[in-house]
Amino acid sequence: MSKELIRLRDLTMEFDGERILDGINLYINDHEFLTLLGPSGCGKTTTLRIIGGFLTPTSGTVTFDGQTINDVPPYKRQINTVFQRYALFPHLDVYDNIAFGLRVAKVPKDEVDSRVREMLEIVSLKGYENRRVDSLSGGQQQRVAIARALVNRPKVLLLDEPLGALDLRLRKDMQNELKRIQQAMGITFIYVTHDQEEALSMSDTVVVMDKGRIQQIGRPEDIYNEPKNAFVADFIGESNILDGVMLEDYRVRFFGRVFECVDKGFAPNEPVDVVIRPEDIDIVPKDQGHLVGTVTGVTFKGLNYDIIVEFKGFKWLIQTTDYHGIGTTIGIRLNPEDIHIMHKSEYSGMFGDYSSYSAEYDELTEDADGEEE
Amino acid sequence: MRRANRIMTVIIFIFLYIPMVVLIVASFNTGKDVTEFSGFTLKQYVRLFQDRSLLKLLANSLIISVLASFIATVFGTVAALGIHNLNPKMRKVAMTLTDIPMTNPDIVTGVSLSLLFVFVGTKMLGQRNSLTFWTLLIAHITFNLPYVILNVMPKLKQMDASLVDAAMDLGCTRVQAFFKVTVHEIMPGVVSGAIMAFTMSLDDFVISYFVTGPSFITLPVEIYSYTKKPIQPKIYAMFTLLFLIIFVLMTAMNLMQLVSDRKKAVSHIGH
Repeated sequence: MSKELIRLRDLTMEFDGERILDGINLYINDHEFLTLLGPSGCGKTTTLRIIGGFLTPTSGTVTFDGQTINDVPPYKRQINTVFQRYALFPHLDVYDNIAFGLRVAKVPKDEVDSRVREMLEIVSLKGYENRRVDSLSGGQQQRVAIARALVNRPKVLLLDEPLGALDLRLRKDMQNELKRIQQAMGITFIYVTHDQEEALSMSDTVVVMDKGRIQQIGRPEDIYNEPKNAFVADFIGESNILDGVMLEDYRVRFFGRVFECVDKGFAPNEPVDVVIRPEDIDIVPKDQGHLVGTVTGVTFKGLNYDIIVEFKGFKWLIQTTDYHGIGTTIGIRLNPEDIHIMHKSEYSGMFGDYSSYSAEYDELTEDADGEEE
Repeated sequence: MRRANRIMTVIIFIFLYIPMVVLIVASFNTGKDVTEFSGFTLKQYVRLFQDRSLLKLLANSLIISVLASFIATVFGTVAALGIHNLNPKMRKVAMTLTDIPMTNPDIVTGVSLSLLFVFVGTKMLGQRNSLTFWTLLIAHITFNLPYVILNVMPKLKQMDASLVDAAMDLGCTRVQAFFKVTVHEIMPGVVSGAIMAFTMSLDDFVISYFVTGPSFITLPVEIYSYTKKPIQPKIYAMFTLLFLIIFVLMTAMNLMQLVSDRKKAVSHIGH
């Protein structure tokens, strides 16, 4: 699409001998909405802070428009940031917060005024000019933070978990709002989040990170449909991940049965990870199924039921709109396009088994996503 | 039980403030005997303001207190910033080191400073009178510093660290970020530190006694020598005024704190 704007080459970062980033290579195009997605401690915020100029990488280079900017301080970069908890200046009102950057840059007074008012309009905060920032709601503070950054007309806007502190409804609204602003202003957004749904719904490109390394880069659809390893498959959506053997192109064996699939390019008899998304599994009467299992758990989720089905001692998560009670025996069918094959990785065997499934798994993962650093 | 508590509180306040009341009453007494109030007069205050030597001493004390607390506030704030930016382990060490002089007995601080000044003054600089206005000022700055640091540190800790990042993100250099953002955030701590330093300086006798010479005497040092002869009633008048100054300062400080706390409370309800 458009030209490359930022490139990270072999970026590493160490704090007190601990490696936070381990060889990050990434390019970011002009006008792109790129999301760094990963669990806490994966290095996403560190990467963002390096791009913003708040941290200097231990090794590797950051280039901006072809220029190396490793040692350029934040105030000389054409980059602005929306911070995690907004970092609005409490001693200034809404207007003065937004005008801050322009005044530091000694922009003439009338121009400051017209640009601040224009931004207030864009973020729908007209009439709030003289309000104290701590008298605003979370969503309004968020808008001020965005306006304060964008009024400087940066080439790139960095957003560090900007919606983390908002409630669910507001978060959805702000997601649309951010996407609209990004398209209206035509600038690059680099967005950090641990919320996979947020990443999938807003981004042009998603970068999945873990343990200081990039696990996968791709369009949201590709990341979801073609995860590269067990970590990505598990982190993005729900996945049943099984051990299998790729007999030849388009033929995989698992659970003692050979299935047709759509993947190729593996070595003959290569051990692989097989991913089956819970929503892709068709439930059929037990005499018509490829596999037959017993329901051991049911959770009502509103849109569907999450049921846990045991097949030969291995528990799968299946999402279905029909109710199947505990103890029922059901059959399942797997179509070739429902089966996704991945190479074995360091993450093999760590994810995708629902044997220790509990109904609270959603909340548990939410809780685990604390603050970084 | 609650009633007993209330009575106890009242008794404690009486004990704390009755000496001041006695002093204030004495300053308005026409008679010379403190034990007998023979009539109301402002004569002592008139006498006080006619006594040039006494006013000179008060001026000396004020000069030292203002200068020492101002310089200590600047240095202390800078030191607090530096300590705040240390890693947690070093920060702890630095804070312990700044706390020790505060708990150190004044007499020990006074004597050791005096020894240092005399040593540097006579041995190294070859002066005959090494204890002067300057040694007094240095001593006051020294014992004021920990109070400023102690008051500024919590404000730095409370401040959202990303505010400085935000300022730099919006085009400020480190120094600009300090003056445009950090200063506003830590101001209550700086002000209370300065006031505390000022009051410490104003009433210091022990340390001052050891580190100043006859060329520059402060009020507490002079008054100490009065205790050997009867105290003139005009001194009561001066003490009353000093008490009022401190009283006003402390009340102002607490009111400021209250107002800023209330502002915060209001904004929290707003959320």
